Amino acid sequence: MPSLNEFQLDALREVGNVGAGNAATALSQLTGQRIDLSLSKVCVLPTDAIADFLGGSDSSVASVCLPVYGDVTGVVLVFFPLDQIHELTHTLVPRAGAAAPTTEGLSDIEKSALRELGSILTGAYLGALFRFIHIQILHGLPELVMDMAQAILDSVLVELEEKEDLAIVIETQLMAQNQKMTTKFLLLPEAGSLDHLFKAFSNTLGLPGNG
Amino acid sequence: MGEKDWAVGIAELKVARFPDSLSAIGLGSCVGVTLYDPAAKNGGLAHIMLPSSALSTRGFIPGKFADTAIEALVGELRLLGSPPEALQAKLVGGANMFKALVSHSVPIGLRNATAAREKLKALSIPLVGEDLGGESGRTIQFSLGDGRIKIKQLNRPEFWL
Repeated sequence: MPSLNEFQLDALREVGNVGAGNAATALSQLTGQRIDLSLSKVCVLPTDAIADFLGGSDSSVASVCLPVYGDVTGVVLVFFPLDQIHELTHTLVPRAGAAAPTTEGLSDIEKSALRELGSILTGAYLGALFRFIHIQILHGLPELVMDMAQAILDSVLVELEEKEDLAIVIETQLMAQNQKMTTKFLLLPEAGSLDHLFKAFSNTLGLPGNG
Repeated sequence: MGEKDWAVGIAELKVARFPDSLSAIGLGSCVGVTLYDPAAKNGGLAHIMLPSSALSTRGFIPGKFADTAIEALVGELRLLGSPPEALQAKLVGGANMFKALVSHSVPIGLRNATAAREKLKALSIPLVGEDLGGESGRTIQFSLGDGRIKIKQLNRPEFWL
């Protein structure tokens, strides 16, 4: 199973840092308030470990899903904590009333804001990948789903039948209005694509591939 | 006492006897196929991903496909002492959660369900219950005492099929 060595992980950390910085700038401009994003974790995870990374198979999560294509094809999933979803949407599109509703119900505007957040984060990370390792990945339209972690993964893995058994993970802490929320970005490449990605990391760094 | 709940992961299949139970956590577009022998209280659960083994590309796994998973379940239940004519089937799952990802005109969840129904019909196993489709994932627990399935969804009260 291919993996990233320390140098490649450093490069991925750089991608995460630059992507998070760019996304924070875009989000601050869009919302007119200060939004910070700090990198908290970068790793490569086997797909059967993703559910635990998200808090367990039956944990409830909100996820924005985007198909990706170009030098790498596959799917990007951006996860937000469902128990903080109202704080998150309030940051993006402030509610008129003071109290957030207690139900899962989100307005169309709030759902659209979450899709946009997923899109901005994805665009920023994919942009940083292009800048650092010259690999071009485009993304399609974002879709928002709130469900059990395993059900989301199950549906995505089915559509990506020829998937790689690994996901590239970039976790950041989003900070706004004294709230801290964890966002988890996962790139799930189709067969062949991950190898391509690893080679691109190696070539850029002038190191021999280890895949 | 001593009963065990067996978790059936994606593309897996398992059989068990009362008082044990069988579970699948987070069925999205996958379909859970249960086969039950009410007299012997034996049952099996398959967590299928794709409609047909003809779609197999690398590393063939019988539990992954509707046709081969049902055949394998029938075979394992026969070994437990339950012949095919003693069995009843239920189907749960096959949601359509991501519309943008769907690469076929007919969503995979629906194709999984259709393929499972066809296979059951070919084997003359009666289909006695189904809870399919929708946009939400399901967690199921198949009780081998009475063959009922407890179904949990995020925005729907828990119920028994």
